[in-house]
Amino acid sequence: MQKLVALHAQEHKHFKIKTEAVESVGSHERMIPVVMSEFIKLSVQYPIVFTKNIETGQFVLVALMGFEERENLFWKNDEWDAIYVPLNVTRQPFFIGADAQTKQHLICIDIASPCISMEEGESIYQQDGSESEYMNTIRNRLSELFRGEQEAAGFIDILGKLDLLVPLSLDISFANESHHQVQGVYTIDEEKLQALDKATIGELHAAQYLRPIYTMINSLSHIYGLIQRKNQRLENA
Amino acid sequence: MKKIRSVVVVGGGTAGWITAGRIAALQKKRLGKSQNATDKAVQVLLVESANKPPIGVGEGTWPTMRNTLRQLDIRESDFIKHCDATFKQGAKFSGWVTGKQDDYYYHPLVLPQDFSQVDIAPYWLWQKQQQQTESFSKAVCFQEYLCEQNQAPKNIRTPEYAGIANYAYHLNSEKFSRFLQQHCMEHLDVKHLVGDVTGVQSQPNGDIESLVISGQEAPLAGDLFIDCTGFSSILLGKHFNVPLTSCEDVLFADTALATRVNYDSSDAPIATHTNATAQNAGWIWDIGLQTRRGIGYVYSSKHSSEEAALAELLRYTGGQVNEADVRKIPINSGYRQTFWKNNCVAVGLSAGFIEPLEASALVLVELSASMIAEQFPATRELMDIVAKRFNDTFSYRWQRIVDFLKLHYVLTKRQDTAFWKDNQDMTSVPESLQELLQLWRYHSPRDYDFTSNNEVFPAASWQYVLFGMGFEADYSHTYNPDSYSSNMANQAMMKNKGMVDRCVAQLPKHRELIDKIHQYGLQSI
Ligand SMILES: Cc1cc2nc3c(=O)[nH]c(=O)nc-3n(C[C@H](O)[C@H](O)[C@H](O)COP(=O)(O)OP(=O)(O)OC[C@H]3O[C@@H](n4cnc5c(N)ncnc54)[C@H](O)[C@@H]3O)c2cc1C
Repeated sequence: MQKLVALHAQEHKHFKIKTEAVESVGSHERMIPVVMSEFIKLSVQYPIVFTKNIETGQFVLVALMGFEERENLFWKNDEWDAIYVPLNVTRQPFFIGADAQTKQHLICIDIASPCISMEEGESIYQQDGSESEYMNTIRNRLSELFRGEQEAAGFIDILGKLDLLVPLSLDISFANESHHQVQGVYTIDEEKLQALDKATIGELHAAQYLRPIYTMINSLSHIYGLIQRKNQRLENA
Repeated sequence: MKKIRSVVVVGGGTAGWITAGRIAALQKKRLGKSQNATDKAVQVLLVESANKPPIGVGEGTWPTMRNTLRQLDIRESDFIKHCDATFKQGAKFSGWVTGKQDDYYYHPLVLPQDFSQVDIAPYWLWQKQQQQTESFSKAVCFQEYLCEQNQAPKNIRTPEYAGIANYAYHLNSEKFSRFLQQHCMEHLDVKHLVGDVTGVQSQPNGDIESLVISGQEAPLAGDLFIDCTGFSSILLGKHFNVPLTSCEDVLFADTALATRVNYDSSDAPIATHTNATAQNAGWIWDIGLQTRRGIGYVYSSKHSSEEAALAELLRYTGGQVNEADVRKIPINSGYRQTFWKNNCVAVGLSAGFIEPLEASALVLVELSASMIAEQFPATRELMDIVAKRFNDTFSYRWQRIVDFLKLHYVLTKRQDTAFWKDNQDMTSVPESLQELLQLWRYHSPRDYDFTSNNEVFPAASWQYVLFGMGFEADYSHTYNPDSYSSNMANQAMMKNKGMVDRCVAQLPKHRELIDKIHQYGLQSI
């Protein structure tokens, strides 16, 4: 269970973060929420798709890590086997919260996280009480995520209005002849995209949405990479 | 050949707007946005009286409503937000068999488990003869468990109009007709005129030429006239004098006392089934909408005085309403001998009405609207052919509904009042139903038992009511507990148990889902 508290210079003075443990936070995530500013780096290895938020039913952007529940095929030999690890993992164990009274955004830390140590790892604060270089990186990651969520909302809204989202229906057979039906995953309807009139395409272009759209469509080829990883895992099992 | 180009719908209740909308929507779909579409299009105009408001009751629907709304290009989230609508997963009949405290059964909307592959009923009956078993509805279907716990048939991630469990809606009838009106006018090009139809001008062949409308100088001409004027039935009933086939000697209810009760708090649980509770001379409907419950007593005035009925209704509501909040609606139980005459067809209450048990009225509106839209006669000559088919189809459907409703009464074991005793009198049971009951002593209801593909209620519905009412049958001569199909039936029952666990664990509370739909809406995919 997470336990989020506001980050506090005095209280968390001696806290250190074991960065190698951070990645293990995502080791059992089948989908990891992502933002558009990461697309270029993500698109080297991950399928980028939409899924529905379990609480709200609203679409969110995620990178696909596996097929079964709690399956992350990029987690191999206790480490992340990929060139790039999504921001939502590397920012751990920090979150953006809001002050109950002022509603102002503030940084929170999950004090139940196994990445926290008093002995080893990256310090959050320097001797003089100012934030460390490491914490500065975290801050940048958090603000990138925060901006990214708003950006994604606009993107998804337009795609929804243009009726461009479609369920991704994939029936996959693995090497051991087991079958899997990908469910709850959505992508962009390429045919409908092609059929859009010039003016609408122009609007998407002006909003700088065309590139992420094509990045997402192209990233689907990485599903084959995922299948390969799954087959390897089945073989080794 | 005279082309049918203009349709005049008279009446702005739910029947009028659904029919106008279905015709307009299908025309729009077929013609698309092409240049000459407007020349080819059929114009739909709806005229309604400002002095006679729609009936304002009729809150229970069938799952067909999902398709109807979808055909009208309505977003489910909008419908739920604007019509006070909730999800309906069936009906719970309390007190219909013995009238005792523990007497109830469900008619859920989900079919018995694996219904297309195996009929569980004989196996269930055999088990029942051996030992105490669960009720039929519990043994074969998981939906009763959801109803008992006020759980929704889907979650916020389920797309619009899709369900994890089959469902229909409960809705606020007044809000629904206003919502449909706005949608039909804004998106489907249905024209609207307010005025009373005060006269009819005829052609030599008897067709309606035009309608005289109060406040309008010129009479309103049209090619096809649709009578949706409710109980007044001004075109089919009054102008054409088509008589009503009465059903009063079969279904005795002839009066309704309707009221509404507010919830104690804004987070009170919302029931997800219609409660139908038997009374001395009829039954009380109890329907949970978002902001209130709609409640009413449907009774036979031959078996109860109005005072006694009112007292029963007030007792049911637990003193939450008083006499002034109760509205009396007389029901003239029956349906027209023909529904389509010349160039006029009746849809809704103007075509007929029998008591609201099983919410069959709006289904018939939907089926009528759909048939008129789908088989829209291109010319006046074709209209007579379509009319004949329409009349045959709907006469059959009304008879089937009468039989199905009577099934709820005829199997009662209640002897406590004249109403229930009279219902067991075989002279009040149509011959067609008597025949079915005889068949079903020897095999369980199946779709083959019905001779037409125009059934309103599937065999599964007949099973739920038949076995829910405790019908005594013996299938032992054709049934072997060691057989392959018993094995399948057993497996289906086990599967159902698994569904119960999964659905009860996963589905949200009904109120919670409704709140989320208001906040976030459902996705269309
Ligand atoms: C007690 C009761 C309970 C019911 N419960 C259910 C249920 O649970 N489920 C279900 O499916 N159905 C139910 N129904 C039936 C349901 O209410 C109707 O089928 C449905 O509302 C359609 O009504 P309508 O549009 O035909 O008529 P109405 O709503 O009566 O509309 C008639 C329209 O015609 C117009 N009009 C009348 N005369 C003229 C004129 N001279 N000129 C112009 N316009 C005119 C009126 O202004 C009005 O707009 C119930 C009915 C009753 C009585």
